[in-house]
Amino acid sequence: MPQQHDGTEARRAKVEALRAEERQRSARRRNVAVSVSAIGVFAVVAAVWLAMASLGSDSGAAGAAQVVREDSHRLGTAADGKVTLVEFLDFECEACRAYFPTVEQLRKDYAGRVTFVARYFPIGGHFNAERAARAVEAAAKQGKFDAMYRRMYETQSQWGEKQVPADAFFRKMAEGLGLDLAAWDKAYEDPATLARVRKDAADGEALGVQGTPTFFLNGERIEPRTPDEFKAALDAALAE
Amino acid sequence: MRPSPSNPAPFPRLLPWLLLIGGGIGLVAAFVLAVEKIALLTDPAYVPSCSINPVLSCGSIMSTPQAELFGFPNPLLGIACFAVVTTVGAVLLAGAELPRRFWLGLQAGVTGGVLFVHWLIFQSLYVIGALCPYCMVVWAVTVPLFWYVTLRNFAAGRLAAYHGVPVTVWFLTLIAMIGVRFWSFWSTLLPVTF
Repeated sequence: MPQQHDGTEARRAKVEALRAEERQRSARRRNVAVSVSAIGVFAVVAAVWLAMASLGSDSGAAGAAQVVREDSHRLGTAADGKVTLVEFLDFECEACRAYFPTVEQLRKDYAGRVTFVARYFPIGGHFNAERAARAVEAAAKQGKFDAMYRRMYETQSQWGEKQVPADAFFRKMAEGLGLDLAAWDKAYEDPATLARVRKDAADGEALGVQGTPTFFLNGERIEPRTPDEFKAALDAALAE
Repeated sequence: MRPSPSNPAPFPRLLPWLLLIGGGIGLVAAFVLAVEKIALLTDPAYVPSCSINPVLSCGSIMSTPQAELFGFPNPLLGIACFAVVTTVGAVLLAGAELPRRFWLGLQAGVTGGVLFVHWLIFQSLYVIGALCPYCMVVWAVTVPLFWYVTLRNFAAGRLAAYHGVPVTVWFLTLIAMIGVRFWSFWSTLLPVTF
């Protein structure tokens, strides 16, 4: 009799153990299933978002993009507003730095006859390019776009091509120009400043700008290789 | 619910291995970071092995004040703490039964770690604006370590049953934050322009 009782007990314990194991297994399955579902939902949302982003830029490309906007920075304005030269530039780009003296010379030579517009186009691969654009935009808020723009190129060899933030360097630069530093700091960190820079770049992207500098003369893209070619293009536009 | 003999602690098999392997991975990452920091100190022009592009860039992160929150390089903390975590994993695998007060000590450690890591994530993403791959390895191991130690010590049934879900959601959230924060950069790496 006691033996039989023990047998029942053992059987019951075994069944109990099997059940517990089964419960554990199904709990594990549920845990994995819910986790994997979360990953699945995430993947779907990300895919939809990517698709919408790509559609958005395709449709916006033709209509919305403009070579010059009301708020674009003008380095010089033509009295008659007939000829406009727009440069999409990146302060950390060496080619832009190489074109800088030419553009400065053209600004002198064609002052009052050609409108010179500078638009931000910081390249993703340049670590401090967007920061530099923000620094210039922050200076522009105090009416010092031109001065900061020139200082950026003049000092490019000191801050460019580095993988560390050049915030302190740019701040010194702003200080050197006698800017109101508190206001400059605020503008430099202001998301609106970054948005302003990105808006320029978005226009550039929509216009097919891929590298810097990219020049548009009266809305047409030009690729002058020498200062003389540049002058010839401007002269031709003025003569039209 | 406190673990007791009649009610064994959750994850008796998972947790020791997690501590051993997670701690080991964290230890290696912290060690590499410390070595890179020393290389950077001896040669300021040194470019760390993990400075790959403007976003994935240890160099720019390692030279920030945030990288030395307590006045010395953060990886030194990592080396010390992850070594302890690894050891605890090994001790558990050897069959040791640790008293609750020991577990609470470990809990204090992983809680400090997870808070620190989230502060670093915030700084990295929104203040410094760059990512450091080895640091991200540390983020990725610290959160599961914290989560499973916490579940072991304080787990309520339902949460423990779906233990993988919060960790998964945490990882997905972080991936989304990184994706969105550096979108302008990632988009330049894609073949199609957005």
